[in-house]
Formats: sequence, structure tokens, C-alpha cells
Amino acid sequence: MTAPDWRRTVVRLRRRPVGSAAFMVLVFVFLFAPLVVMVAFSFNSSPRLSFPFAGVSIRWYQEIFTDTLVLRAFRRSVQAAVVTAGITGLLGLPAALGILKVAARWRTIFLTTALGPLAIPGLLYAIGLAVFYRQIGVERSIWSANLGHALIALPFVFLIIGASLERFRFGLLEAAQDLGATRWYAFRTITLPLILPAVIGAMLLAAAISVDDFVIAFFTAGQDKTLPLVMYGRVLKGIDPTLNAIGTVMLILTTTLAFMAASRTTIGER
Amino acid sequence: MTESISTRRGPRRQRSRPGTSGEVLATIDRRRRLVAWLQLFPGSAYFALLFLVPLAGLLAMSFFRLVDFDPVPAFVLSNYVEVLTTSIHVRLGLRTIQVAGILTVIVLLVSFPCAYVLNFVFRAKRQLLYFLILVSLFGGYIVRIYAWRSILGRQGVINQTLIGMGIIEEPIRYILNSMLAVGASLVNFLIPLGVLPIYAAMQNVSPHVIEAARDLGASRFRAARQIVLPLSMRGVRAATAFVFIATLGEWVTPRLLGGTNDLLIGNRIEFYFGQSLEWPQGAALAMTLMVAMGVFAYIIISLMKRLAR
Repeated sequence: MTAPDWRRTVVRLRRRPVGSAAFMVLVFVFLFAPLVVMVAFSFNSSPRLSFPFAGVSIRWYQEIFTDTLVLRAFRRSVQAAVVTAGITGLLGLPAALGILKVAARWRTIFLTTALGPLAIPGLLYAIGLAVFYRQIGVERSIWSANLGHALIALPFVFLIIGASLERFRFGLLEAAQDLGATRWYAFRTITLPLILPAVIGAMLLAAAISVDDFVIAFFTAGQDKTLPLVMYGRVLKGIDPTLNAIGTVMLILTTTLAFMAASRTTIGER
Repeated sequence: MTESISTRRGPRRQRSRPGTSGEVLATIDRRRRLVAWLQLFPGSAYFALLFLVPLAGLLAMSFFRLVDFDPVPAFVLSNYVEVLTTSIHVRLGLRTIQVAGILTVIVLLVSFPCAYVLNFVFRAKRQLLYFLILVSLFGGYIVRIYAWRSILGRQGVINQTLIGMGIIEEPIRYILNSMLAVGASLVNFLIPLGVLPIYAAMQNVSPHVIEAARDLGASRFRAARQIVLPLSMRGVRAATAFVFIATLGEWVTPRLLGGTNDLLIGNRIEFYFGQSLEWPQGAALAMTLMVAMGVFAYIIISLMKRLAR
């Protein structure tokens, strides 16, 4: 390579990527602008959605936190999160451990089938579940919706824990067993502590999916309205300033869960 | 027996224990496999009961007869005939496919450069940027739709601000309740769904390959088009599928942001299950949609395979 060529390469590497930066800024503004506007207006003292701000206040938060309808929905959403995380953890962890030990052909079948819920629209699954509950005569409630949330979150949990086990050094278990540890003792003291961050992360993601879900709750929760259902009902009635506050509370709940989930698992480690 | 030992993966792989007979090994192997199936059982049973059975139930429901607004077990094809010959379904179906196609193109045109920039230009900050996109995927489906409504609505931010500044007297009505509002919100929601799989696939492309292409005189665009795109085609295909599937099942966004002319096929399914309570017809429409989705997925994937060659 001749000298001028080499210099040109260095110049090119040093050039600031202005175009790329501008593009990314545009994309992120587009992604987050609606949410930023909503959060900002949740603190506006005037019910009017107009710039400039009339003043800063927390009156909309005071209003929703004294509204029993919203409070009940909030409690249901939190319950849904906890139950979904619990079910998916209890089912996902053993399944992720078990799949490592079955023959390759079975492994492929299980992994492909597990992707099923991702391959059909949520609407179709939700009505399928509603039909199922009607056919077996189950009363629709927050619990019936929870079971559906756990089902759509289960593939994520299963795959995330599976990904963390892929990097797990099974030699450690052999070493422990050679030194006289029982299977269960080795699992409890070696496997579990090492994969626990991924398990917790996956369960937090399941909780986020549950809190965020609208369509399954819409068709299977009956009268037990969760926060997204309350929001939907109020939006249909018209613009209501408390919606900004409810939306902000929901946003904080889901993004905190998703953020904590991403920081504990390999999904955030790309 | 030796064959099954060699194909399985796990702690005892490739390990011969001096002094243990084949019989003992076989017993251990059998026990391990029993444990594995016991571990897989609860999750699989749950999956079968709450995923496969409900979908089978939906299929069965699509053949039921409606007697006094109560679905009665039967085997009639009239639901399908009714669903397929209703002109509004044909119209909404075609519109939904058209919208899904346009959205897919827009989302891919944004997501691919976005994933590219994330992975190759801002490598130092990619973790943070990826995090933000990931969080936005799992945070706020209904919240986002509402946020768009509060910005675009008649009483919304744009109109109120313009009126407050004295630029317009009457609120502009046609910003909300339009295909534009539906499209903006859907693109907003779908971009993370497009970026994530493409970005994941790009992990396999080394930045050195691009450097090499640039050194040999390829333009930035050409390097992206001829090297990165073919190598991350798996991600592009997954992104296409995700965007298409999400749009076909979408009904909340057109309901809250669109006008009466912007409804999609999902709104009809919601209508059958939520309002008219004609469940068998709704189930027939849902099954038709599912079959159509499979056919489209096949066509698109094979088209893309041909394009990538």
C-alpha cells in the first residue's frame, strides 16, 4: 500500500459519523417523543394539553392515587406481574435444564414448538383462550388472564434461561460429584447460584410482558380490569388528564422491569 | 446404548469411567433421561393445555352452529362461507395486507440502517442504545397508542398549541382518525421489533470485513448492501415476519387512532368476539387469517431467499 492510501484510511477512520448520529437521533426522538410528551403533561397543572406549560403540579397523581378504580387496577396489574413471573419461573427453569439432556431430535421439536406463541398474532391467541375458557366453563377473571400471560411469557423465559445454561460449565458439576456431592447438593450450591441472575432476569421480563399486555386481558379478564384496560376504557370516553398520570405509572412499571431484566440476562449483553 | 450416550449433551459427555461396567452406565443414562423428561413435563403440559388445546378449540368453534347466540357443537361450513363472501372482509383483508406490506418496507428501511449504525458506527455506545430499544419494546403498548392520541387529537398537543399561539382558530380534525396516525403509531411500535432481530444477526458480521471492503474501494453503501445485508438476511427475514404478524393481528391502534375507513381485519375479529358475540363466525375468520398468514409467510420468505441470492 502506498503512503497516500494509508493516510486516506486514517483520515476516513477519524471522520466523525455526523450522518449516522443525525439518523440515530431522529429515530430515538421518534421512538420516545410521544412518551416524553405524555410524562411531561402528567405534571402539567392545567388539564389542557397545550404548550407552554401552565405550571408544575402533581394533582393528576393525587387524583389517580385516590381513585379506587385505578388503585384496584394497579393492584391487579402488580398481581398479574407476580403470578406470571412465578409460573414462568417454576415451569421454565426445569424445562430449560431438562432439554439439555434429551436427544437432539427431541430438542429441536421442543424448541420449535416453544416458538409457537411468537408466530401467531396475540389477538388470535387471546380469542382462542377466551373460547377455551368458555368451552370448559371457567369464569373469566384476573386469574384466567394470568394463565394466558404466563403462556406467552414462557417461551422467553425458557429461551433466556436456556441461553445462560449454554455458557454454563458442566465440568463443575462433575467435579463436585466426584468429590462426593449429591446431585441435588451440586445443583443447589453450583448451578443455581451461577444461573440465578438469568432466571431472575427472565422472570422480570415475564412480569413486564404481563403488565404491558392488553389484548389477552381484554378478552379473558372479564370484569377484572388491569391498568391497560382502564386506560383503554378512558381513552374511548375521551381525552382525560388523569390518563397522562396513569400512563406514566404504567410506563415506569414496565420499563423498570424490562430494564432490570435486560441488565441481568444475555438479552442485554449483545 | 453407546450411540445414545454419544449423541446426548451434558455433564458426563466424553467421559469414560475406569472400572464401571457398561451396565451401570446404561442405568445412569436411563435415570438421567427419566429426570430430563420429568423436568420437561410441567412446562410442556402447561403449553399443551393453554396453547395447543385453545387453538384446537378455536378450530372446532369455527365449525359450530349459532343457536340463540349460543355456539352449539356441530360440523357446518356455513361460517366459512359467510365469512368469505362478506364483501367487507375481502376489502379489509386486502387493505390489511397492503398496510402490512407498506409498514414492513418502512420498518425495514429504518431498522436495517439503525441496526447497522448501532453495530458498526457507534460500537462503543451500542450496549446503551440497544438497551433503550429493548426497553421500548417491552414498555407501553397501550401507553404509546394513547400518547399518540394525546398529541394528534382534536384536543391534542399539536392542535392546542397551534390554537394557543394563534396560528389556527379551529382544531385541525384530520390529523387524528387517519391512516397517517395509525401508521405513525404502528411504525413507532414496530421499529424495535425490526431492529432487534437484524441487530442480533449482524453480530456474526465482523467489522473487519467492512473495513476490508472499504479499503478495496467499495462505498459505504455498497459494503452495507453487498456484504452486511446478505450476511444478516436471517435477521431481516425474522424482522419481516414479526412486523407482518403484528400488523395482521392489530386492532387496538386502528380503533383508537384511525377513522371508520382505516379499520383492519383484526377489528372484524374483535367485533365478532367483543360486540356481536357471533363466536363461530369470528373463529372462522380467525382460522382463515391464520391460513392466509401461513401462505403469505411462505411466499415472502421464498421471495426474500431468491432476492438474497
